Amino acid sequence: MPAWLVLTVLALSAASCVDAPFSERQQAERVLQRSRWGTSSVYTPARTGLADAARTHFGLRADPVQPFAYSHRVHLAQEMACVDCHQGVESGPRAGLPGMNTCMTCHAAIATEKPLVQTMAKMQAEGRDFAWARVYDYAREAHVRFEHAPHIRAKVECSTCHGDMRQQDVATRVVDMDMAFCVNCHTQKQASNDCLTCHY
Amino acid sequence: MAHRWGMVVDLDKCTGCEACVTACHAENNIPTAGATEAGRGRAMHWLRVERYWEGDFPDVKVKFKPVMCQHCDNAPCEAVCPTYASHQTDEGLNAQVYNRCIGTRYCANACSYNVRFFNFFNPQWEKPLQLQLNPDVSVREVGVMEKCTFCVQRIKSGKSAAKADGRELKDGDIQPACVQSCPAGAIIFGDLNDHESRAARLTHSPRGTKLLEDEGTEPKVTYLQRQSWNEPDTQ
Amino acid sequence: MTPMDRRRFFKITAITGTTAALASCGNPENQIVRFIPDEELTPGVAVWKPSVCPLCAAGCGVTARVMDGDAEVFRSGQPGVTRMGLVRKLEGDPEHPLSKGRLCVRGQAAVQVTYHPDRLVAPQRRSGDRGSGQFTEITWDEALSVLVERLDATAAAPAQLAVLSRPRRGRRHELVAEFLRRFGAPAPVSFEIFDDAVLRRANDLSFGRHQLPTFDLARTSYLLNFGADLLGTWNSPLAHSVAYGAMRQGRGGSRPKFVQVEPRMSQTGASADEWLAVRPGTEGALALGLAHVVMKAGLRPADGGGRAGAQIEGWSGGLPAFTPEAVEKETGVSAERIERLAREFASYGPAVAVIGGAPLAQTNGLAQALAVNALNALVGSVGVEGGVSFMPQGPVPAAPARTLREALAAAPPQVLLLDDANPVFAAPAAWKVRDWLRQVPFIASFGSFIDETSALADLILPDHSFLESWVESAPESGAATAVATVAGPAMRPLYDTRSMPDVLLDAGRRLKTPLAPALPWQTFEEMLQAPAAEPAPVAAAPARSTAAAAPTAWRAPELDGSAGEYPFQFMPYPSQALFDGSLAHLPWLQELPDPLTTAMWSSWVELNVRTAETLGIADGDVVEVASAHGSLRAPVVISPGIGPDAAAMPVGQGHETFTRYASGRGANPLAILAPVAEPSTGQLAWAATRVKITRISGADGSLILFAGATRERPDHTRGRG
Repeated sequence: MPAWLVLTVLALSAASCVDAPFSERQQAERVLQRSRWGTSSVYTPARTGLADAARTHFGLRADPVQPFAYSHRVHLAQEMACVDCHQGVESGPRAGLPGMNTCMTCHAAIATEKPLVQTMAKMQAEGRDFAWARVYDYAREAHVRFEHAPHIRAKVECSTCHGDMRQQDVATRVVDMDMAFCVNCHTQKQASNDCLTCHY
Repeated sequence: MAHRWGMVVDLDKCTGCEACVTACHAENNIPTAGATEAGRGRAMHWLRVERYWEGDFPDVKVKFKPVMCQHCDNAPCEAVCPTYASHQTDEGLNAQVYNRCIGTRYCANACSYNVRFFNFFNPQWEKPLQLQLNPDVSVREVGVMEKCTFCVQRIKSGKSAAKADGRELKDGDIQPACVQSCPAGAIIFGDLNDHESRAARLTHSPRGTKLLEDEGTEPKVTYLQRQSWNEPDTQ
Repeated sequence: MTPMDRRRFFKITAITGTTAALASCGNPENQIVRFIPDEELTPGVAVWKPSVCPLCAAGCGVTARVMDGDAEVFRSGQPGVTRMGLVRKLEGDPEHPLSKGRLCVRGQAAVQVTYHPDRLVAPQRRSGDRGSGQFTEITWDEALSVLVERLDATAAAPAQLAVLSRPRRGRRHELVAEFLRRFGAPAPVSFEIFDDAVLRRANDLSFGRHQLPTFDLARTSYLLNFGADLLGTWNSPLAHSVAYGAMRQGRGGSRPKFVQVEPRMSQTGASADEWLAVRPGTEGALALGLAHVVMKAGLRPADGGGRAGAQIEGWSGGLPAFTPEAVEKETGVSAERIERLAREFASYGPAVAVIGGAPLAQTNGLAQALAVNALNALVGSVGVEGGVSFMPQGPVPAAPARTLREALAAAPPQVLLLDDANPVFAAPAAWKVRDWLRQVPFIASFGSFIDETSALADLILPDHSFLESWVESAPESGAATAVATVAGPAMRPLYDTRSMPDVLLDAGRRLKTPLAPALPWQTFEEMLQAPAAEPAPVAAAPARSTAAAAPTAWRAPELDGSAGEYPFQFMPYPSQALFDGSLAHLPWLQELPDPLTTAMWSSWVELNVRTAETLGIADGDVVEVASAHGSLRAPVVISPGIGPDAAAMPVGQGHETFTRYASGRGANPLAILAPVAEPSTGQLAWAATRVKITRISGADGSLILFAGATRERPDHTRGRG
């Protein structure tokens, strides 16, 4: 690969620090990429290497880095509901992370004097979006196919799994979503605990 | 009563066209092995169409038989799995739990039907082929075994949709990808515990047979044998 | 940035990802810009959008399962990621009269056309020698100005502009034809190796319908099929298969009989109740033999044959030359069996006879088709339930397409536009298409991939994929009622491509000498929304009917090459997976086990068990297949389903240049075909070549079988099932 091309990419990446775009698919792909390099004749069933296995075993996970310090507390205090921004939560498997257009629905008129909102308006005009980092997510090797909508229908509160967001500014992992957490609730509510309920 | 999922393949309708095979690949994120790996016997087809020649030229016949996991009631793969990755669910599915699987491959060796496939590599989709992947289904990684699930994601979403609408699940609501695609309508899927379901009724057809029945695997897939033409008595 | 090599950019982003991240701000994703989505999407929820499968002429309606996902895109020259609706799967459209909710194996793989890693992502200009396949990416402004400049230069001699495409119906092709007409250029040239021109011609003569037939398989009681792969690749295979399911077990009463007559067991033949091996090219003689018995036994009178019967020499006299004994000699089918089949066919109606594929690709193809048409007419199967009929049609274009053979016979044009045709691969080498194309001063292609033909182009203006464009189909067969399908884009374009009809309209507007009269539409979408001509009712006079011609005499097929030197009749056939080779770039289809051999990623030659024994050939051995016009090498699959004096080979592999999945794989049987034509249509008689077979070596691993391959094997046995 020619050096100028690498430089171009690096320059691009430096220029776009502020926006910190992010995508689950890319993360998944990065895992895939890395594991592809890591694939050796050595047999490693579920983890792509010793380091991966160790990290998973000890539950080590880097904290998400968000584009800016969005405060859930402030927004929820304005009598907003979770579903206002996480619009897929009642209808589909994923709640969804709001894009620029969702933010600007309100912020086109509200708090327009704040520098951050002005930056956002500028970004929107340029057609550029946020890239939120996922706070909760499952490792690809966990093969969890979680769906939000059926849980909402079963009257599970958002806070059961995500903590009380009214108390949080930037979202952090306050609930340890290990399998015991899911299984306990399923047992209490007499939902199926067969492996295939979540893993397929 | 719990569901008990089963399948019927009408060999009189099957034309061997393999629409089901591609449908299965598209639905279930089955990787393409590539020529080199396929040449080593590592191609993955959860569903394959077997063909059998009978007789010699010119009095020759061919029979096709689509073979997928038979979801046996008495599955040899389950008994040998040391980690319970392969087990029977309450609804009669022979489940393969990828994150329990440690890749001993005992199940593949025990299976009478050769329908279990081992991931020798991390699957690759050359960009942007990965955009086609079905988000409702896991992408399996190196070291785990995989096989036909009766499209468990479709079973799940069918049940979930019925529940959301507050109605009972109807026969035909759930169609695995192969069933959905089959041009001749040769594959039928349904609840064997629902005696009115098409699949349950056809399971008791006089044409019905099970694959390698004498092994005692008690498969939940029934094959309806091809019929031959009988001259009508119209003269 | 320069009109930079996007493909390479996409490739390297993932690799630089981790290293770059360490140097930047902690989030490894920082280097990629995220754009605001253009559409409202509920995450993880599928919506279904209609589309039309473009892979063959059948024109089946499909639905596309669209879900959100992140795609790498370019916006005003900047690379980034955006969330967009992506087609995840194709299924048949339940409302569509042809597909009825089902979809064939090839249609399902069509989604890989859109996401193919070697798809052209922007206009290209040739930068290396012609045929080197070296292109440089350019902008659409540059590309259009090059095209318009060339068109302007041709305006003084408008007959020097030609379009080469595949024989398809519909408004896209009307648009091309209209563009050419208004430019002053001749009608488009069309080419498809497996086109059924011979059958259309025969139907025109027999029934006054220049059109492919539709069969009511669901309600027939007796199906007699002469060589057509109607459940696999021929005519409207999906509609046939859907109806076949109903024919087999979909209705009460006695089970219909299906008889297949062919020299090599096809996938369709495998489903037959009775399979008859017949000498290639004598299917028509068998049909006439059956008609003879029917008439002689007084089961039907000769005049039942009507116009179709009148096309056959000797029909009114009861075809005296076609006694079962005479036909046995010609076809190899016993006289007894002929008697029996004739009685069955006439007794257990509604009965229908079908002919298609290889029997028509003979020098006597027209006579063969006329014979089967007359047999249908004789038993009263035309236009009835369970018989053969013709779909109501709109007016057929005034200027029918020219054939490639006609074009090749004339001097090459100054400017050639290529749309979806690849004759360098799919025409016999003896036609010297490549040499002819090299003489064309300027070639522009609208293709999405570099194949053997577009590698010769000077300019490539890549079309959207069908999922990204307005699509339509106006099939000529497959249902009893007229079917026209139009659908909007199922997803937004991934790349800097443009819809071919829109590019043509745009180019038309930019010409110095405007089209006269100008085309009335700004976009293809506008054209599609303008009302199309109403289909004519069935009873209406056919738009293009040939006046009653003199009756055709039966004649035996003429094969190229002497039986002494070339003892085997060579039978190429469309592959269930790769069709005519135009689908060899799709990895799902490459890895699809062939229904009869379970071969994947391979070419192979089918030989009879005894033939192989005589020649000392074992399964998998590599042989040379040589005709008087060329030779190829491929491994052998020994088959009980082929006669001892024939060799069959699937078409599809043997591409020199056609993406990473197909290039340099296997051998192309079309290349060694003799340039023999069916005389009345000029259509290539692709089943009329003789070959010789020589063993070259033992198995070389190039034959990859799935059968018996579900367990890991060490390398030394690879490729052997």
